[in-house]
Amino acid sequence: METIVDSTDGDLARAVAARRPGSSEAAESELYRRFAPRVRLYGRRHLRDEDAAGDLVQQVMLLTIEKLRGGSVRDVDQIASFVLGVSRTKVKDLKRLEWRREKLREVFIVPEVVEAPVDEATLDVDRLEACLARLAERERVVVLLTFYAERTASEVGRELGVKEGHVRVIRHRAVERLRTCMTSREVAQ
Amino acid sequence: MPRCQAPISEETLLDYWARELAEGDETDRLEEHLFACGDCSARLSQLAALGSGLTTLVRQGRVAGIVSRALLNRMQRDGIHVRMYSLAPGETVPCAVFPGDDLVVAALRADFSGVDAVTLSVTGPAGSPGGQTGEVPVAGPDAEVFWATPAAVVRQMPSMRLQLTLVSAGATPAELGSYVLDHTASTLSGT
Repeated sequence: METIVDSTDGDLARAVAARRPGSSEAAESELYRRFAPRVRLYGRRHLRDEDAAGDLVQQVMLLTIEKLRGGSVRDVDQIASFVLGVSRTKVKDLKRLEWRREKLREVFIVPEVVEAPVDEATLDVDRLEACLARLAERERVVVLLTFYAERTASEVGRELGVKEGHVRVIRHRAVERLRTCMTSREVAQ
Repeated sequence: MPRCQAPISEETLLDYWARELAEGDETDRLEEHLFACGDCSARLSQLAALGSGLTTLVRQGRVAGIVSRALLNRMQRDGIHVRMYSLAPGETVPCAVFPGDDLVVAALRADFSGVDAVTLSVTGPAGSPGGQTGEVPVAGPDAEVFWATPAAVVRQMPSMRLQLTLVSAGATPAELGSYVLDHTASTLSGT
């Protein structure tokens, strides 16, 4: 039997737009569950701020549901593009408003809307520490400079006296090794 | 939800997250795909989680081994308390960890002319081996090698002398410097 989680994004958007009692609420929830993590990632990527990304989710999903309910989304089969478009606009707004987060909260947040789901698999930081220690020195420095210090491959290359292309190779290999290690049963903590 | 028919490569996801893709058509197309594809957005989410985990570790001072100047600068900017001991070849430096310290770093200087990588050896009391770290990158003759230990680890160490030795990597290894950290154990609770 097909359930709501098997529905396409377009089917969900259509159900929300149709506002059928009993089905549109479930469709809204599923649409939110599906897109909120993607909007949050987009926000983290562009705003580099967890709180701002959380605000973005609220704003984008509220507007999306409102537009669907109001029949203003022209092509519901392209709902992913619509959500992305709203996300882009909102990120530009957030940047323009120089992170006036508190004011935005007052305007946009609606308590009835569920909190954005935690989209990321919770990571065992103790295990990650053990995995990080297993990397070669160069690999460890490269991943820390990339993910923590937010340095580009070119900047890391200058810092370490290594070519940019080589930094990318090291970085890719290090991430793969960390991933493998995180799922391995052998890591002693 | 339908499965992804054209998964984005891991390298591209990594480039995207590291802001290495040029803003424009390529990034736009990628984001269109990520918003429409649960599989690829879930993979990006795992990558983001890895990045968050690494950031958490650094902010807790749980980084051991070689670090770089840029990394240290960023940590200090973020309010992480780094206690640094700077050593020239042949030098013995008294050291300890203090309340509030998150990370203890030995900055090792030497003449790195013509050297692009070194091996760091650590020797404990009575010549006991404390570990060896190979292929440590060195960028330029005036560079320093930064060896980090979490303050929480140093707090557990008894008073001891640690000898650090840098040897150039390559076909004909040569000693570049030998250094001694004269460590005094913490005596105060919580230090």
